[in-house]
Amino acid sequence: MYIIVEDDPSVADALESLLSGAGLPVRVFASAEDFIHSASLTPDDTMIVDLGLPGMSGGELVRHLEKAGATPKVIAISGKSSRTIARETEGLSDVKILRKPPAADWLEAITA
Amino acid sequence: MGELEDRRTAVSEARFESLLDTAADGIIVIDDTGRMLVFNKICERLFGYTAQEAIGQNVSLIMPPEFSTYHDRFMHNYHRTGERRIIGIGREVSGMHRDGTVFPLELSVGEAKTTDGRQYIGVLRDLRSRRAVEQRVSQLQAQVVHMTRLSAMDEMGAAMAHELNQPLTALLLYLQAVARQVKACHADAKPPSDKMLDVLDKAVLEAERASHIVQRMRQMVEKRDPERATVDLREVVNEALDLSEFVAQGATVTIRRVFGMAPIHVDADATQIQQIILNLLRNALEVAKESEERWVKVSIGSDDRSAFVSVTDSGPGFSEEVGKSLFRTFSTTKKSGMGLGLAISRAIAQNHGGDLMADPGGNGQGATFTLMLPMHRSDEAEDDTWG
Ligand SMILES: Nc1ncnc2c1ncn2[C@@H]1O[C@H](COP(=O)(O)OP(=O)(O)OP(=O)(O)O)[C@@H](O)[C@H]1O
Ligand SMILES: [Mg+2]
Repeated sequence: MYIIVEDDPSVADALESLLSGAGLPVRVFASAEDFIHSASLTPDDTMIVDLGLPGMSGGELVRHLEKAGATPKVIAISGKSSRTIARETEGLSDVKILRKPPAADWLEAITA
Repeated sequence: MGELEDRRTAVSEARFESLLDTAADGIIVIDDTGRMLVFNKICERLFGYTAQEAIGQNVSLIMPPEFSTYHDRFMHNYHRTGERRIIGIGREVSGMHRDGTVFPLELSVGEAKTTDGRQYIGVLRDLRSRRAVEQRVSQLQAQVVHMTRLSAMDEMGAAMAHELNQPLTALLLYLQAVARQVKACHADAKPPSDKMLDVLDKAVLEAERASHIVQRMRQMVEKRDPERATVDLREVVNEALDLSEFVAQGATVTIRRVFGMAPIHVDADATQIQQIILNLLRNALEVAKESEERWVKVSIGSDDRSAFVSVTDSGPGFSEEVGKSLFRTFSTTKKSGMGLGLAISRAIAQNHGGDLMADPGGNGQGATFTLMLPMHRSDEAEDDTWG
């Protein structure tokens, strides 16, 4: 399952179109809180999370999941500067970063 | 003339001389042919001639050549017609030092009728130091403006990148999705599906969202010269309200108009004023929509100097915290807001010689934003004739 946590409805919808268009199973959540309350992860899930979420940030969500012992494959997306991204993902073990706007095919990057 | 009379004259002349020489301004007296009769100490410094050298000569001695011909003509003309060009008025003229340096002077001229005929008293002030100060000030001003513009552009660049990121990301992802599906259809020799068209429609919407952001940014930087005309503020505002009611058809917020009967004339660019009203209205509608009473009130009034348009809503008002940065560019509390509405609006108001003010409301009161514009003054009594 591919889990998208993104607060911008257009970006979330576009990502969903891209993934589901390729026949992949997708679920979309608008906030970290929404996701925590209504879903759990299995080890072969991939989570695509916006770092700049309102409320609990993307970085915090990943940290929260790591603490809970669930470490799915995480892809963080962000439109911020590389310095800000580095700060926000500090201490996270294995996170792939995709920067907005996309410079290459995201489906390949996500499924790689 | 008796001896006493002579002595009195001598005393008053001595006094006059010492007065002349302690005066802070240059003082020159000429007769009606332009001959200099008095040339005080300050004049000696200003022009580089001693009083002895100057007295008896034509006043054109201390003027740049192009002025001296005018001067003769002015004096001639004045004697003939009595039309005053400078007497009793004072104006900026050019003087010329003995070494040929031309410099700005403020000249005031008085006229005296004496037994020896008409005489003219000129009081001269060197404007060079003031000029230097003025120049320095305007240089500094230009620097400050330039600096704030640079930092605004910095801020703008960052904000622009941030704002454009989301629609561009969505747009590119939609296009990637379509491109893949088109390729897949191609491979299977199938016609493209309706779903692809849906995705393309969404892509177009995102492109429009991006271009809308660019347009708003453009409004911010492009300071086009306002096209001013004398307009009735009530009509201008009415039009804006009609427009927004049309746009917000079906919205459930009531817009109340509180207008007087008399026209309120202002000199303004109607389109720009409407832009302000629409920005205020949009903010007000956004909060009113979430409130219990759901209304926005727009009232227009005036006193003898200013016209006012106030927009009040049934929302919660805003906090002191928000109030501090209300008019700053890119300060917003809204997810999809850019924080430009009020900044643009205030800039336009100030460009019109007016201002935009905010009352925070609170405690059950909504915020009130008031646009102030100077009233049109019907016949400004300013005719340009000298004297
Ligand atoms: N009527 C109002 N009541 C309460 N708060 C207001 C009102 N109008 C404006 N504000 C506050 O002032 C902020 C700045 O307003 P402004 O119009 O400049 O930007 P914006 O509405 O956030 O974005 P934009 O107008 O660029 O889409 C708003 O985010 C909001 O917090
Ligand atoms: Mg606004």
